[in-house]
Amino acid sequence: MSWTHRVPGGVLIAVGLAVALEATGFEVAFLTDPVGPKALPLLAAAALVLAGAHHARRPDAEARWPAGGTLVRMGAGSVALLVYGIVLPWLGFLISTTAVVAALSHLFGAPPKRSVSAALALTLGLWVVFVRLLALPLPVGDLWMR
Amino acid sequence: MDALSSLAGGFAIALQPLNLALAFGGVLVGTLVGMLPGVGPINAIAILIPVIFATDLPPGSALILLAGIYYGSQYGCSISSILLNVPGESSSLMTALDGYAMTRAGRGGPALATAAIASFVGGTLSIFALVLFAPLLSQWAIDFGPAEYFALVVFAFTALSTLSGTNAFKGLAATGLGLWLATVGLDPHSAVPRYTFGQIQLLDGMDFVVVTIGLFAVSEVLQMLEDGPVGEAGKLAYGRVMISLGELRETTATMLRASGLGFVVGALPGAGSTIASFLAYTTEQRLAGAGGRFGQGDIRGVAAPEAANNAAATGAMIPMLTLGVPGGGTTAVMLGALLGLGITPGPLLIQEQPDLFWGLAASMYVGNVFLLVLNLPLVGVFVRALALPRWFLMPGVTALAFVSVYAVNGSALDLGLMTLFGVVGWVMRKLGFPLAPVVLGLVLGPLMEKNLRRSLALSGGDWGVLFDSPIAIALWILALASLAAPILLRRIATPQTDTAEGA
Repeated sequence: MSWTHRVPGGVLIAVGLAVALEATGFEVAFLTDPVGPKALPLLAAAALVLAGAHHARRPDAEARWPAGGTLVRMGAGSVALLVYGIVLPWLGFLISTTAVVAALSHLFGAPPKRSVSAALALTLGLWVVFVRLLALPLPVGDLWMR
Repeated sequence: MDALSSLAGGFAIALQPLNLALAFGGVLVGTLVGMLPGVGPINAIAILIPVIFATDLPPGSALILLAGIYYGSQYGCSISSILLNVPGESSSLMTALDGYAMTRAGRGGPALATAAIASFVGGTLSIFALVLFAPLLSQWAIDFGPAEYFALVVFAFTALSTLSGTNAFKGLAATGLGLWLATVGLDPHSAVPRYTFGQIQLLDGMDFVVVTIGLFAVSEVLQMLEDGPVGEAGKLAYGRVMISLGELRETTATMLRASGLGFVVGALPGAGSTIASFLAYTTEQRLAGAGGRFGQGDIRGVAAPEAANNAAATGAMIPMLTLGVPGGGTTAVMLGALLGLGITPGPLLIQEQPDLFWGLAASMYVGNVFLLVLNLPLVGVFVRALALPRWFLMPGVTALAFVSVYAVNGSALDLGLMTLFGVVGWVMRKLGFPLAPVVLGLVLGPLMEKNLRRSLALSGGDWGVLFDSPIAIALWILALASLAAPILLRRIATPQTDTAEGA
């Protein structure tokens, strides 16, 4: 028994219970069928709770978690992608994509100069594919449209 | 004969210039993307789906493109397994054993050629079987009512949950997560919003492309950041991409056996390419006996899993196309794509849209031919792309995935969700939870719910209706039996050691 089992098992049970609790609140004006919109969510919740209870009780191999620099690198990668989703409509495709690709490329071990040139090349390549070949508009950036 | 004339009609469709070009392009792009280290068919298809949607092709042509990508990515996956020992998906794990051993012995070229030829044999033979069996299965399934469908979906879930990982409960958790995600959005039957957290974009439901790319592709990027530079391609020496006639003769029987086995296993729910390639490999290892050098670069060790996983990939299309119920992760993604294109696979597909079905079958032949003629001469080009540094490839793939989702959906929330699912997927992998059942649950959730509610509405709330017909009962028994399948399978597939116990 260890944290690796108790925590995920507990999380699964908690998510399952939350799903079930929310499902009991689904109110329908008129019933089209005997079970209504809660049936499938309750089924999903039961699966989550059952699996969670089993996971918390039965230990298996311990997972190895990253630490130190690796964890920082992975965290930075996730944050870069999250920030990309926020700034893309605002700063536009060219700037935000160049920035995020440069950041990722650096995290994958490229020296700063190379990661920027790689980012520029990839961003332009994607722009050609989407805007020129597929005729799909990419965001120009609300900031520059004012 | 009927099937043959329909197939001839299919070729008339597949050989139209546009469709020919799409099959070619699909195979090429699929190979390129599938070849990237760590990127398998699921990733490749999920990343390219938004692009397919964006092209505004007619559904039949889009399907041909999709099938080309499917085949191409499967083969691309074997390139990286053979040359770098980094399989993009578990179905190529067995290929890496002898394939990489051959590469180290300077015989990577012959290994690549064997993989291409075996894939071609497996693919072509199994398409023939698909054409024969798919119409039969749809005939049979045409009488399925809601109760039968519900039981069938449960069977698909139990089969995948028990076979995709080491622990059925972990599969159950993943299935539950997928089913819950499937309920996000407006309930189509009563218009009640479910789990939308006040976000208007979520009223339409959770986009399966977003979930799939997040769980598979983004989590892979995180995994690679963790692993550091493993399997980085340096200078790759692989020799000529050819095999001798003697080697071809040596592997012919292997390819034929593995194709048959792969097709049957692939058509079963849950099992899929991974188990097919594993079974084919161990069978050949056994048949070869002391004469084999399996694990040290035996050419049959490449031919067997490659023929089997390609045959299984086709076999897996049968339940997906004729029942509308996929058996595994990759076909679940395919089903999601088809639904997005307005095609609803099921028993009526062949009857109502014969052009689509036969056109697809014919273009699979065409795609396999392209795969062979494209890969033998062009493998050098692919290998050069593979030698590009990872700091260039992986950010590029990530950006492609994010940009294509945004270009099609126009929702910044989706990008955030993709990152979130990436983190969730990485944690799940760490803890040994399989990811494919999440996608299957997400894609099949609506079908399951519709049929559950419909059968209960017909019976007036009596749950006994679910166990009322012989077919439904048979499917429930199969679902129960699939829970015992791993034990059986472990007994059949224990490699080498046992002598007294037969296969």
